[in-house]
This record gives sequence, C-alpha cells and structure tokens, in this order.
Amino acid sequence: MDRIQIPATSRSPLVDFDFEAGHLLLRGESYPEDAAAFYGPLLQALRRCLETDGAPLTFDVALSYFNSSSAKALMNLFMPLEDAAADGRPVTIRWLYAEGDESIAEAGEDFAADFSHARFEMVQETAA
Amino acid sequence: MSGETLAPAPQPGGARRGGSLRGAGPMRRGDALAGLGFAEVPTTQDGGADTMRPGALRGAARGRNLDGLAHALFLRLFPVIAAMVLATQVVIAWVNYGDQIRLTGERAQMMADMTARALARPDWTTSHGPQLQALALDPAFRVATLRDAAGNVVGRLGEEPRGRGFERIQVGSEIEAGPPGQPAGSLTLVLSAEALRANAEKQFVMVLGASLALMLAFALALRLAVRRHVLAPLTRLLSAMGRVEHKEWVTVDLAGRQRPSREIADISSAFNRMVEGLKSGDEARHLLAELERTHARLAEANGLVMESLGYASRIQQAVLPGPGALRGPTLEVAVLWEPLHVVGGDYFWLEEIDGLCIVVVADCTGHGVPGAFLTLIVATALDRILHDQGLRRPDDILAALDGVVRTRLRQETGQVAGRAAEAPEGSDDGLDCGVCVLDRASRILHFAGAGLALTVLDGAGVTRIKGRRHGLGYRRTGREEALSGTAVPLADGQTFFLMTDGVSDQMGGASRRLLGHRGVAEILARHRDLPLDGQVAALEAALAAHRGPEPRRDDMTLVAFRPRTG
Repeated sequence: MDRIQIPATSRSPLVDFDFEAGHLLLRGESYPEDAAAFYGPLLQALRRCLETDGAPLTFDVALSYFNSSSAKALMNLFMPLEDAAADGRPVTIRWLYAEGDESIAEAGEDFAADFSHARFEMVQETAA
Repeated sequence: MSGETLAPAPQPGGARRGGSLRGAGPMRRGDALAGLGFAEVPTTQDGGADTMRPGALRGAARGRNLDGLAHALFLRLFPVIAAMVLATQVVIAWVNYGDQIRLTGERAQMMADMTARALARPDWTTSHGPQLQALALDPAFRVATLRDAAGNVVGRLGEEPRGRGFERIQVGSEIEAGPPGQPAGSLTLVLSAEALRANAEKQFVMVLGASLALMLAFALALRLAVRRHVLAPLTRLLSAMGRVEHKEWVTVDLAGRQRPSREIADISSAFNRMVEGLKSGDEARHLLAELERTHARLAEANGLVMESLGYASRIQQAVLPGPGALRGPTLEVAVLWEPLHVVGGDYFWLEEIDGLCIVVVADCTGHGVPGAFLTLIVATALDRILHDQGLRRPDDILAALDGVVRTRLRQETGQVAGRAAEAPEGSDDGLDCGVCVLDRASRILHFAGAGLALTVLDGAGVTRIKGRRHGLGYRRTGREEALSGTAVPLADGQTFFLMTDGVSDQMGGASRRLLGHRGVAEILARHRDLPLDGQVAALEAALAAHRGPEPRRDDMTLVAFRPRTG
C-alpha cells in the first residue's frame, strides 16, 4: 500500500497514513470547504488497507479544531477500524489533545463511546 | 524601305520636350540622393514620434556603410605609405649608384696613372701597344687615346662610344718621360658606366617589387583584421540592436572566431546586459499586465458571487423569524445569527403555537451556500411538522425532522452501514438540532437535542443538558442512539441558551485553543445581570476579543430566552 502524505494547510490537517508501518496520523485543524472530498480518498485507502492484512494499526488523531463535517468524516474513519478490531485486529486510536484543551478532550470522550473493541487512548500533549 | 519608317523623326518643339520629361526627365532630389548611395534616414518632422519606429536602426546596420568607411581609409592611407617607402628606396638606390660611379672613376684614374707611368720612357710615342692592350682587358674599357705634348694623337685603341655622356667615365693622366714637371704627353681613358646603370636599374625594380608586395600584404592583413575584429562584430551588434527594437531579446556572442576588439567587446557586453535588463523588465511588465487582467477578472467574478450571495441572504433572512417573534411581556428573547459567508447553514425557529413557545436551533453541515440549501429543507420540514402534523414533543419533532431530511436527500437508499463514502455522489449531510418547547402553563421546559445542547444559567451556575450525540440526517450507520426528551421545571432567574458549535469553537488566545463550552458559559455567567440583549452583545464582544486576529471558523447562532416571573 502506498503511503499517503499530505501537508497541512490552514483549513486541512497534516495527513500521514503509513500503512506499511501500521501508523496513521492526522494533525492540525480540519475545516475544509468540502470535507467529503478531503476525507473520501483517505477512507477508501483505509478500507483497502483493512482488507489486505491483519497487522496492528495505530491511528493518532491530534486535531486542535474540526468542524461538524470533519467530525462526521472522522466517525466514518473510526467505524471500519472498530469493525476490524471486532474481527480481531489490534487497533489503537490515540486521541491527542493539548493540555487544558477541554473542548477537544470532551470531543475525544464522545468518540471513545463509539469503541468497544478497538483501544481508544486519551493522550494529553504538554506544550512544547 | 526608307529610313523614315525605321526611326520616327523627332517631333519639333514641345512634344519632344514633353516626351523627354516623361522618359528621362530631370531627376528629383530623392533620386539624386539615392543615386549617390544615400539611404533613407528617418526624420523627426512629426515631433520625434517615429524616432523609435521599428526598423529605424536598420539603415545604419547595413554593412555597406562600414565597408565604405574601411575602403576610404585604405585608399587614403595606401598611397601615402607607398610613396614614402618608394621614395626612401629610390634615394637609397641613387646614393648607391653615385657611390658605384665614384668608385669606378677612382679605379679608372688609377689604371690611367699606372699605364702613364709604365709608358714614361723615351720611346713611348712608338712602343705603347702592349700597355694599351693591357687596359683593354677591363670589361668596361671603351677607348684609350695617347697624345703628345702638342696634342696630336700618337696612338689609339678601341672606339669612341656613342650615346649619352653620363654613361661613360673619362679620365686623363700626364706622361712624364723626361724631366719632372714637363709632360711629354697625355693618356685619356674612357670606361663605360652602362653595367652600373643596369645594376642600379635592376636593384630599383627589385626594391619596387618588394615594396609593393610588402604593402599589399600589410594592407590585406590589416583589412582582414579590421573586418574580423571590428566590422563583423559591429555588424552583429547593429543587427542585434535592430532585432531588440522589435522586442526580440537577442544577445551578441562574444566568443568564437570573430572575436571583437576589446572596446567593441566592452560595448557588446554592456549591450548584452542592457538586453537582459530590458528582457526581464519586459517580462515583468507582461506578467504585471497579466496579473492586472487576472485581478480584474477575479474582482468581477467575486463581485458577481457577492451580489448573488447578497440576494441569497435576503431570501434566507426572509425565511428566518423576525426579531420580534416570541417577545412579549412574559418572555425575553435575544438572537445572535452570524453566518460566516453572508449566508449560512445555521437556522432558528421561534413560534408560539397553542400557548407553547417553540424554539428550534439547527446547525446544518457545511456553511455558506451548501449550508443555506439545507436550512431551506429544515424550514420547510419544520413548517410541516409543527403546522400540518401538529407535533409538540421535542423528541418527536427531532425524529420527524430526521425522517424528512433523509427522505429529501435520498439517504435511505444504499444505507448499508459503513458504505457511505464509497458512493461520494450520494448525500451524507445532516444537521445538529436542539428543540425547546416552553409550557408556561405547567411551568415546564421540554428539551430534546441531537448534537446540540441546552445551556441553562441560573443562580446556582451553568448547567449543560446534552442531547443525543449524533445529529439528524446523514446516512444510517446503525449506531445512532434513540432520541429522548428532558423536562426542566421552570424556576426564577433562569436563562436558557441554544447555540451552535460555531459559538464555542472560537480559535484564539495565547495558546491558540478553542474557547469551548466552558469558556462561553463563563462569559455568560459574568454578564448574568445584564438584560438579555446586553448579555448576548457582551458575549459577542468577548468572542471577538478571544479570536483576536484569527478568523472565525463557522457560522454562529445563539438563541437566548428568559421567562419573566410575574
């Protein structure tokens, strides 16, 4: 599987989906004008990856802001991961949030409620 | 046949003159100039407007003019140099010839003296044959004459040479046969100078030939060098100038066989630098003009879009309830509705039906035009739900709204869980929505939310009643929670807020962090004693202060209402 790397813009996050290494990353802010167009290809790539093998997968999400369309897109990314975890694949989602960022932490807790098979970790990042 | 028919006789008078004028009449001034080889020179009679007319330099760039200059130079220099060299050689040859003549004269004198001594015997007048014959051994010998004291010829050998006097050398010597001081006779010897003259002539011709060859070689070499290192580079430079006039950015090649002289190389490289400068200036000018055109097109396109959005905004605001809706002696209401881009995906509904105050706030996915489309669906749906279907329970209203949106956006087809994004042409849109139904008779507020919470501010502090986490609409995932309502008993000093996430999602501050629900609640609590309008205005100002230079991220809508006691 090809690695997907997209640099961050002011409206979209940095994307680094390294399927070979089993490590996916989103970092930055996410409020693209067309969230479906931005996240659609990522979701398709993720699905293809999940079809191929059963290697462990870690998904780091470090967003400081995302709009409701992006929240929906994230949910769409999380669902197949949860399904794969239900089928026995080790999947870890690490929800990274800045120290004291309660809005993002709260959103992470909301997402955590959707997972029962995949590991969902809340990771507080201290300011560099 | 006669001569008259062969050649028509010239007509006398004016006719002949006229024909002459037409055929080979006096040349006009221009013809004369052209005939003399003058090219047309651009004039500046029209105020110099055509001084930089394309091709104005081309006349000057013709190689002929430069060649002509070179010709003139050589034609003037060559005779001067040739005459000087020739004169020098002639003088040298003349001096040589004079020396030869002098030496031969001295030799002749010596020969005459020696022979005169040898003859100085008493019987010299009779026995002089062998002496004279010895003189004849000299190849230049012509004639020797012996005379006695009286001047009578005693003996002679050879013949008197004919021809010009300067071609012979004549010397004489006294014969002293007796006592010294009394000459007994004299010997006259004549030698020819013809060989000397021939020699001098030969030498002169050789020198002349060598000089001419040298001059020719010198002239040719000079001419070639000038042509190669001066004329050719100048021609190249001029023709490049002509092309640059037509904005053809060519430079002059400074290397190669026809390497220019240092001065022309300096001029050429200065010219090349100028061309580079002009070229980049010209390119910059073109780019700037292109940029200006693009900017004008963009400005026009943006103007059209903004005009269109302004129109759309009027329609959207017409669909929204007026500011006076629900306001009355028993209910204080304040509204903040701020779309991010003129129109937006936030929507609110305020209506009193059957003694119930109904407040709905919706946040449709996206903002701007796509969000605004969804708000129209929501507006139509709410109208049907509240007026036609007569639903009054908030959770029922949300469920019905969910159904209408799914049907309208045809989200029920292809509803297999998790396949949503594989069919990107289908809609996966929806909305967050909160509904409040205020029943003043029973003093209960009923609330139900889908992705949108109710904030209650009272004397005890701020309470946030979350509804269901998932919004309405979107394709089914099979994980949606059920909708449920909450009943809040009314008490004194309560203020209720329904707000979209655009209010709390304000990026800013020193740490560039979202303000969050808690931040908003703190601001609202800080201004709890203000009238509702003032409280909302204070919140808006505080949000702007938190954002600072950061732009807003989303549409924002807040509906606040405060039931009055009494």
